[in-house]
Amino acid sequence: MERELLLEIGCEELPASWLPGLTNQIGEVVVAELKGYRLAPETPAETFSTPRRLSMRIARVPERQTDLEELISGPPVSAAFRADGTPTPAATGFAAKQGVEVAALERLQTAKGEYLAYRRRQRGKASVDVLPQVLGGTLRALTFPKLMHWDAMIEDGRGEFLFGRPIRWILYLYGGRVVPFTISRTPAAQSGLVQDVTTGAVTYGHRFLATSGRAGHAIKVRSFEDYRNRLLENFVILERGERHDKIASQLDAKAQRLQGRVSRVVHSDSGLLHEVPDLIEYPSVVAGTFGPEFLELPDEVLTTTLVHHQHYFPVESEDGKLKNAFLAVINTEPDNERTIARNAERVVTARLRDARFFWEADRKASLESRIERLGTLVFHKKLGTYKEKAERIERLAGWIAKEAFGASAETAAHAARAARLSKADLTTDMVREFTELQGVMGGIYAREERLPEEVWKAIYFHYLPIGVEADAPPTRADLGKAAMTWAAVSLADKLDTIVGLFSVGERPTGSRDPFGVRRGAHGVFKTLVDLSALTGGQIRPSLGALVDAAAQEHQDRDWSGYAVPLLQFMMERLRFVLEQRGFDQRNVRAVTHQTTFKAVVPADALRKLDVLPEFTESLEFRQLAVAFKRVKNIAKELPLERFDTLEATDRGAVFSAPAERALADEIEKRRPVIASAGSSGQGYREAFREASRFKPVVDKFFDDVLVMDPDLVARERRLRLLRRLEALILQLADISEIVPEDVKSG
Amino acid sequence: MTFQDLILKLSEFWASRGCAIQQPLDIEVGAGTMHPETFLRVLGPAHWNVAYVQPSRRPADGRFGENPNRLFKHHQFQVILKPAPDEVQQIYLDSLEACGIHPRQHDIRFEEDNWESPTLGAWGIGWQVMFDGLEITQFTYFQQAGGLELAPISAELTYGLERIAMVLQRVDSVYDLEWAPGVKYRDVRLRDEIEQSKYAFNSELVLPAGEFAAVHRRLFDEYYNLAGALLRKGLIWPALEHTLKCSHLFNLLDASNSIGVTERTAYILRVRQLAIGVAKAYAEGTASLAEAREAGEGGKAIA
Repeated sequence: MERELLLEIGCEELPASWLPGLTNQIGEVVVAELKGYRLAPETPAETFSTPRRLSMRIARVPERQTDLEELISGPPVSAAFRADGTPTPAATGFAAKQGVEVAALERLQTAKGEYLAYRRRQRGKASVDVLPQVLGGTLRALTFPKLMHWDAMIEDGRGEFLFGRPIRWILYLYGGRVVPFTISRTPAAQSGLVQDVTTGAVTYGHRFLATSGRAGHAIKVRSFEDYRNRLLENFVILERGERHDKIASQLDAKAQRLQGRVSRVVHSDSGLLHEVPDLIEYPSVVAGTFGPEFLELPDEVLTTTLVHHQHYFPVESEDGKLKNAFLAVINTEPDNERTIARNAERVVTARLRDARFFWEADRKASLESRIERLGTLVFHKKLGTYKEKAERIERLAGWIAKEAFGASAETAAHAARAARLSKADLTTDMVREFTELQGVMGGIYAREERLPEEVWKAIYFHYLPIGVEADAPPTRADLGKAAMTWAAVSLADKLDTIVGLFSVGERPTGSRDPFGVRRGAHGVFKTLVDLSALTGGQIRPSLGALVDAAAQEHQDRDWSGYAVPLLQFMMERLRFVLEQRGFDQRNVRAVTHQTTFKAVVPADALRKLDVLPEFTESLEFRQLAVAFKRVKNIAKELPLERFDTLEATDRGAVFSAPAERALADEIEKRRPVIASAGSSGQGYREAFREASRFKPVVDKFFDDVLVMDPDLVARERRLRLLRRLEALILQLADISEIVPEDVKSG
Repeated sequence: MTFQDLILKLSEFWASRGCAIQQPLDIEVGAGTMHPETFLRVLGPAHWNVAYVQPSRRPADGRFGENPNRLFKHHQFQVILKPAPDEVQQIYLDSLEACGIHPRQHDIRFEEDNWESPTLGAWGIGWQVMFDGLEITQFTYFQQAGGLELAPISAELTYGLERIAMVLQRVDSVYDLEWAPGVKYRDVRLRDEIEQSKYAFNSELVLPAGEFAAVHRRLFDEYYNLAGALLRKGLIWPALEHTLKCSHLFNLLDASNSIGVTERTAYILRVRQLAIGVAKAYAEGTASLAEAREAGEGGKAIA
């Protein structure tokens, strides 16, 4: 412990969602600061957090900074000495500036010649003299999602000191001794009740619990071991993992006593068990119940009330049915847990009573009858109301189901119906109160109206998938008969938003995306690349067809005005979604080279990426990639329009030279397999294998003929061949993208 | 502990902690924050400690006296501590103890809940104080008011009096609260609640629907113009009060579904613009006051 560094920043309650990030940060920041001050730690940082503290311990930090040695270069030797060897003013001036004689200077050999130089050595200071600055730097470097003013300053010349929450104490020990440091308070706040925060050798335990004396008294600490033990004695479990395990085991025990288990809903999607350890310092669990009559409410409403509003855990019986009971994780060890449970029950009951009122009231009006009301809800000032949006996506979803998916007329009608009703729940009291239930509630009310599964489930799930990580698409089992209709409604809704917003100039920028267009685009591509798996059919629409149909609904604005930025945006989002799945960046670029909407088939991009790595590792394929890069570069000499004209008008072209003929034949030989993959979306492995065989004949072509022949006819003929080859390979991928960097530059 | 005892206890507690006990603002407001003792006092450099009850009207929460937890008008106990003392959380917990809530027996937590009022151009960082799962207080470190950065920072404590009283008296309906010995909340407030709800939602068609909205719009415009005129003459308190009148009329229009979403935003902006003007005028006033005082002390006039 003689060289142990211990830091605890005692704060007013920090938001639970910040703690995981801050726990990592405090270790990284302190270590970076120590390194910056030439005090590189000898052991790693261990970090901890509770709502009221961020803590960090390093077992061994050096006692002294490493010595500093730096070489300061001066004038070139050639300019430093006269012919007789006496120093010039340049040399004496430099030496004087360093405070030494010219004789004390060294000579430094560089690429530009020999220079005079001075080697400055500075002995490292004792750690205790530097550690205050380490803390100052640490406090300044920690970042928070939101900062606050709290009338604090640090005397480091940077003035006011903002932080996530006010700091109330700092425990800062090196080798068991306090390292002095002060956060001072601004003159404006100075009063008897607003004091500087100075480092000390004390911490504070639980707010309300103590083994002896009044809770909240200062606790003297000498070392990390001591710190952890004294905290535990004072009802603070420092390790998050221990808090988590204690919660999990008590939840299970209490649930068993209720003849049930913690609802699977909580385990699967809400992350509640992940959140509660960051809300408390000393957990225990109490059980409560509510009136069985509330079990008539949909499960979604019950769990939203319990989980999202109260952070309580629903309890279910072995068969998965919710029970009229819940478990609450509390931050104390109560003398009488019934007191707390009774109060919690009162809150839950009041909320459920409201929910039941909404449930009864909302069902008095059908979703269809609510469409008129949507006319008073503005979606976007230039894109009209939700009623107009509902009508647009009604047409779009029907079209997608029928034309893009090739579904039956009945399915298309269901998709259109679902899309029309999908926003109606925005006018219900339930959604106004429980906004997180939008979509879900509409689906439930549609089910109550006995609308078919294809319709109600499509409404229920239509916001999914949003984002990339969270909120994955519903599973096929969830969707049942509604897979097609869901996909059509979900795509229609998101595409209408994206295309509509682009058409009125609301494009997301690096820092601003108020309408969540990026998330929407991720949702579109997550759906499109997995469409076959999600629906069980062979569905692979091009982006062009979908975007065109969405743009039809926004015809009053000029398509050419936003097509280019929209394409660029969509391709970036597609690449992002693919990269998120772990595909190599270069491969992703290779399969997303398309320059028109029509050419983009997201489902195929995924299939290509699945097989592409089998080839990219082989030397032969890499060499082909290099050759293809050359092909592309030279082929540019023949404008595409000219190439298209030639191909259309001059079918029976004669390729006279043997290398020309060989390449032409090779292209024709390999075309069927490659073209069939491109058109059917099947057999990309065979197609890539076929393509990888081009290498020898391409090499020979370049060896034997001069493409840029002075004879313009020969030149055009050869360029035309290269264009043909390029077009064929681009049906698969722009494989020049996979050329390794070193080869590219060579 | 009766409802009135709770108010007395809190008043006594905060008076003993150096707060001036003020009275409610005598016009309709949605929250204690709108009272000049908060909205104006948090601006500028002067230290200030004050506490008061503020009856707060939320037309949209009116439930005709049928909902046991929701009210057209509820009561807030509002405390402003400027600057926020270091021990403010502990002092707050002591105030609960003074009301007979023993933290050791309950689960009391400070959970993240930042506060924002677009109409007042104000926001702060803070928590909702949870008592056995029930929010009983909003605790905010004001960061901005009327669009102005604040220094020093004030702590605002807003106690929900009905909720705390219901916990203390263990009743499930607000109307069962004992207001004074032998007097129920129902006796004091129920009829008021029913009639205010009928008015706010125009459920009795006091006026035909279109007319109802038109009258309130007209009133809004009149108060809006008056507030602007008052502000131009530097009459800050009256200007603020008429701004708050507008805010309340907006709440009524909103509750009765008389305005669409776009219009709604426009109304909020108009009130906000007044609030920002009031705050700016007040802050400039306090700044020049402080300057004049300094100049006077230094014995040297500043040209």
